[in-house]
Amino acid sequence: MAKLPIANNIRTLRFMAGEMTQADLGTRIGMTRQTIAAIEAGKYSPTLEAAFRIAQVFGKTLDEVFQWEG
Amino acid sequence: MMTDTSDMSAAEAGAEAGTPYREKSAWVAVAGMVVGYGGYFAVIATLPPQIIGGDPPGMVLKLFALLTVATIVRLLIMGAGTLAIRASSPADARAPADERDRAIAGRSAAIAYYVMMTGMVLVGMVMPFTARGWAITNAALFAIVVAELARYGTIIAAYRRGWHG
Repeated sequence: MAKLPIANNIRTLRFMAGEMTQADLGTRIGMTRQTIAAIEAGKYSPTLEAAFRIAQVFGKTLDEVFQWEG
Repeated sequence: MMTDTSDMSAAEAGAEAGTPYREKSAWVAVAGMVVGYGGYFAVIATLPPQIIGGDPPGMVLKLFALLTVATIVRLLIMGAGTLAIRASSPADARAPADERDRAIAGRSAAIAYYVMMTGMVLVGMVMPFTARGWAITNAALFAIVVAELARYGTIIAAYRRGWHG
């Protein structure tokens, strides 16, 4: 599989948010924990809306969570 | 300081998550299709060409009975498999589909549509010139089974390989 050109810091942000689990994050933004895992692993790029929701959970801006690497 | 997920393996990132419920469901569906209709087509393949290519008396009921058995086997496997995976991960089973699930479902249905269309064109527009009788009926059924397998195969590949279109 070709690597997606969008990297992210979600694993680190979850750690800094008191070891928030993938399931917790998924519940807060309406995603399954497997989808959160796929995003963290770079296997899935979320929609813009989901990306904003993830950033909002951590109180960060979009570019503090996601980085374009294309 | 933030670290990038490019330093992290996919296995590490996915360690908490496990196999998605919908991927497990697709595996169960594939098993049901392969065992049920695989058995049906294995029996059909052993029939003499004069039977399968014609319309001998009594064949309608026999083939219908065989197809019914194959469908029941498929449904039993799917029912038991679905109950098993729901019991093993009830929270995942209750969770509504998210955007990734919907993207995968859409892509797999689109691919299955083209497989089905190809099969139907062959069955409906080519086979009447080269075959007759039950061969055409079974070819149509085979096209449906192949299209379904293409759909479930795409679902499995998408969840495992990160292929969403």
